[in-house]
Amino acid sequence: MEEKELSPKESLDLINSMIGKARERYTDNSFHFLLWGWLVILASVLHYWFAVEAIIEEPQMAWIIMPIGAIISTVYGIRQDKRARVTHYTDKLYGWLWMSIGVSMVIIIVNGQYLNFQIIPLILMVAGIGTFVSGSMMKVKILQLGAICLWVGSIAAFQFEELYQLPINALSIAIGYLLPGYIMKSKAKKHGI
Amino acid sequence: MAFEALDPLLHSQLRLAVMSLLISVESADFVYIKEQTGSTAGNLSVQIDKLSSAGYISVEKKFEGKKPKTTCKITPVGVDAFENYVKNIQQYLKP
Repeated sequence: MEEKELSPKESLDLINSMIGKARERYTDNSFHFLLWGWLVILASVLHYWFAVEAIIEEPQMAWIIMPIGAIISTVYGIRQDKRARVTHYTDKLYGWLWMSIGVSMVIIIVNGQYLNFQIIPLILMVAGIGTFVSGSMMKVKILQLGAICLWVGSIAAFQFEELYQLPINALSIAIGYLLPGYIMKSKAKKHGI
Repeated sequence: MAFEALDPLLHSQLRLAVMSLLISVESADFVYIKEQTGSTAGNLSVQIDKLSSAGYISVEKKFEGKKPKTTCKITPVGVDAFENYVKNIQQYLKP
């Protein structure tokens, strides 16, 4: 870019063009959706299997794998932040959104006894909020559709007892979380990310 | 009606391009700004120093492994200056 005297019109055109360049982007956030999607499905299936086959006394121990996801997600997020050449305002908002969703989920899980152990429908409902808002922020329609699947799963799960909520959970997450995750990943590949 | 004088620090092609880019993002590194503005590293470095000295942007220099990484961010002073500049320019463009 050469230095030259700018006319007011040229200045305004330059401003518009640079703002336009800053907006052109495609961020690949599929990693977190795939990681959490597979972890939740695995934990749901293990919990169901442990309970049905009476393999262990406390089948809910299957969920012990979830903190692994929290550690991997955090480490990955920090590394991505360090590598990022540009940070958009929505990137920060996205991080805060999922952090508050995570805190809400922990509050639901820890207080399960006061909620008549209706943990799964409530978690699906909260995950739906995060997924829908993420889809709106990143302009990824498939995530908004995924959120609707999670909410439908939440309504369905409320109709069943805890054991049968587990396969509903796994199915809802597979359609509402994993499927959009894989679609985003393939789109990111097309964008050369 | 008397027109306000345009901020000379912003009324320069490269500095205005840098400010327009930074107003749209949270932060951006030197290489990204260089690519988006199509400038040379030397010229960009000089203009970034000028914007930083005026308090319009903050510059953080650190190492990522062995590679140096310079990250720029617009400051509240810079946002005010940019908004004023745009307001003043619109006066010139009014028919």
